[in-house]
Amino acid sequence: MNLYEHEAVATIYRKYGISHPRFVVATEPNEEVAAFVRENGGAVVKAMVLVGKRGKAGAVKLVKTEAEAAKAVTDIMNMLVWGEKPVAVMVCEKADIQAEMYCAVTYSTETRSPVITLSMDGGMDVEAIDPSRIINFPVDARPEVEPYQIRDMLVAIGFTRKYGEILRQASLTIASVYKAFWGSEARLLEINPLAVVKVARKDRKTGEMVETLELRALDAVVTLDDDATVAPQKIYGERSAYTRESTRREVDALLIDRDDHRGKAGSYVEPEDMSGDIAMMTFGGGGSAVTIETCYDAGLRPANFTDIGGNPPAEKMYKISRIILSKPGIKGVLVCGGTASNTRIDVTLGEGLVNAIDDLAREGKLDRDLIWVVRRGGPEVEKGLRLLAECFQRNGIKGRIFDSELPITQAPLILRDLLVEHRGYVCGDTAQASV
Amino acid sequence: MGPSLLNENTRIIVIGATGREASQVVRESEDLFPGRIAAGVTPGKGGTTIEPNVPIFNTIKEAKAQDPRINLALIYVPPSSVKDAVLEAIGNGLKTVFVITEHTPIRDAAEIYLAAKNAGVRVVGGTSLGCFVPNVGRIGAIGGKDPSGALAAGGVVVISKSGGLTVTTAEMLKRRGHGVYFAVGIGGDMIAGTTYADLMDELQADPHVTALCMLGEVGGAYEEQAAEAVAAGRFTKPLAAFIGGEFQENQEGVSFGHAGAVVERGKGKASDKKTALAAAGRNVRVARYYHNLVDCIEELGVKPNLPDATGRVVQPKYATI
Repeated sequence: MNLYEHEAVATIYRKYGISHPRFVVATEPNEEVAAFVRENGGAVVKAMVLVGKRGKAGAVKLVKTEAEAAKAVTDIMNMLVWGEKPVAVMVCEKADIQAEMYCAVTYSTETRSPVITLSMDGGMDVEAIDPSRIINFPVDARPEVEPYQIRDMLVAIGFTRKYGEILRQASLTIASVYKAFWGSEARLLEINPLAVVKVARKDRKTGEMVETLELRALDAVVTLDDDATVAPQKIYGERSAYTRESTRREVDALLIDRDDHRGKAGSYVEPEDMSGDIAMMTFGGGGSAVTIETCYDAGLRPANFTDIGGNPPAEKMYKISRIILSKPGIKGVLVCGGTASNTRIDVTLGEGLVNAIDDLAREGKLDRDLIWVVRRGGPEVEKGLRLLAECFQRNGIKGRIFDSELPITQAPLILRDLLVEHRGYVCGDTAQASV
Repeated sequence: MGPSLLNENTRIIVIGATGREASQVVRESEDLFPGRIAAGVTPGKGGTTIEPNVPIFNTIKEAKAQDPRINLALIYVPPSSVKDAVLEAIGNGLKTVFVITEHTPIRDAAEIYLAAKNAGVRVVGGTSLGCFVPNVGRIGAIGGKDPSGALAAGGVVVISKSGGLTVTTAEMLKRRGHGVYFAVGIGGDMIAGTTYADLMDELQADPHVTALCMLGEVGGAYEEQAAEAVAAGRFTKPLAAFIGGEFQENQEGVSFGHAGAVVERGKGKASDKKTALAAAGRNVRVARYYHNLVDCIEELGVKPNLPDATGRVVQPKYATI
């Protein structure tokens, strides 16, 4: 799960003592924002979105007065940032920036360990940084790194050329960043920029204000592990990958698995723009992915995605079948899965899917112009496919049914060819394949 | 006889054995290959038995005291207990561990990898489907109750991140005349205990192996590491590869992430993996479609050891159009 900046700052930076600018969060201009701008003599107003490159999108605004702040809050809340609607704005204290570093902790499949990435060239889009100026330091998978290890890294990236006076303090800050990454069970904690800022602070002995340098996190990009010991949803609430609201069919499908843990039939989503004209009933993670991919490659446009598995009972298959077939605008149906180890084909297809088709026919809701291709293997496949074929015949359904003799990814190509021949289907421009 | 992952000396202990899925796997596996599973562990259920005759212990230590030849742990515990179970296996001197459990926290996976590396232990998974070696045995549910339809003996090794496609691929090969030496699901977790490249030295050295069929997915650098091993001459036998996930690259809104893109610059995308593999050596073919894997194996000159049961054109079982 990706966190918004204000969530990451409020929960993670505060907990692990990572220095950050003071801020307030708002969704509309209010007295709190006005007071904050008055006190600080200005502020930076930032859109809370999950996409990057906010600055380029004009979603970060520098304001000097209360009036400017109020306008910035309203303007940002009303804009789309690379297509995404801000959930709030963060009004932050301005920083006196001396240098901008890049700092991230993530996992590397090269070393199969956490890796700390540092660069003195932060502040810009990370992929724009000169690769020779950005260094990855693998570390052992342990809760902490020692500050001396960080000091070695900082020397290696040239930090001490200008900022040697705060080397020790900087190493403590970055060690805290690592501790925060580990402790919050993140997959990614990225700070860009991690800035060297000039701050005024009261000298402990003399009581006078003096200027010192410190490292301060001016941004937060955090991806938490969805498999974390404490599920991120429990802390931050459910979060959809889409910016649109769920469709009725997606909501209905979610309910299928809610109260019944036998198998999984309710993972159903539609493309973000809700397009597509091929109803997809696919099984298993890898099998589903490879089937969907072949569809796009063959010029077919999937209208939904499913990932059914774990031997769901017939009632669950009945429900998801009706949902899949109710998507408006579909022209073909692809029922496609590999060779199941456990999922009963007579139950899932021979009973669940068959009952759904029979009922739709009885209710006058079955579109007989649809073209079907079925490919499935697994326990009781002979019986399952025979029952489905009988159902096709009594309901006048046009289709072809294969067992695991047919390689799984030939099924989408066969459906494509049938649709082109019988319904004049116009393939998407990605189409290249032939059977 | 058999690869290091599973051979005639393998004695399996199933951790979390009394759970619903694990106990079914124990019974089915003992029907197929009697005696391969030596014992099970479920803390608090020591002294019980899974029918017909697999004894359950409270700890691996207790089980090893009864049967010192136990050398492989098969892990079926919930995600939050995986690290504990693997460390118990390593601490008791077991040399191979299969983690079937899905959704292991990535932090635990990284700790497991470090501990296994330091102890010289081979961990496969998380999210492994298991391993099947025809005529020798199986680890996990791979192949179901009756694997004979999908898995036949031969010389091709199938290594797959996707569990479902492990068996589906072995069956596709079998129908076109190619049996498998073994098939293993290594899982698609970001931190994998065992990668393609980790197994390649052994595959190169083992004369039973005629070819490698690898199924990869978008993300991480394990497929690229396999390509590097080939390019370095560590693996020279025929290699047919399919990499899933290329379509995502053209989909709007799919992001490959910030630091991930930097840490593994130029790696991770399906197209990166395909390019790296195709350029790695003369004995490598990258399948455009998944079903082209068999054609790749044939192009590379791998001789079938079984009759071709289907040919290239397959007739439907039933047709109403």
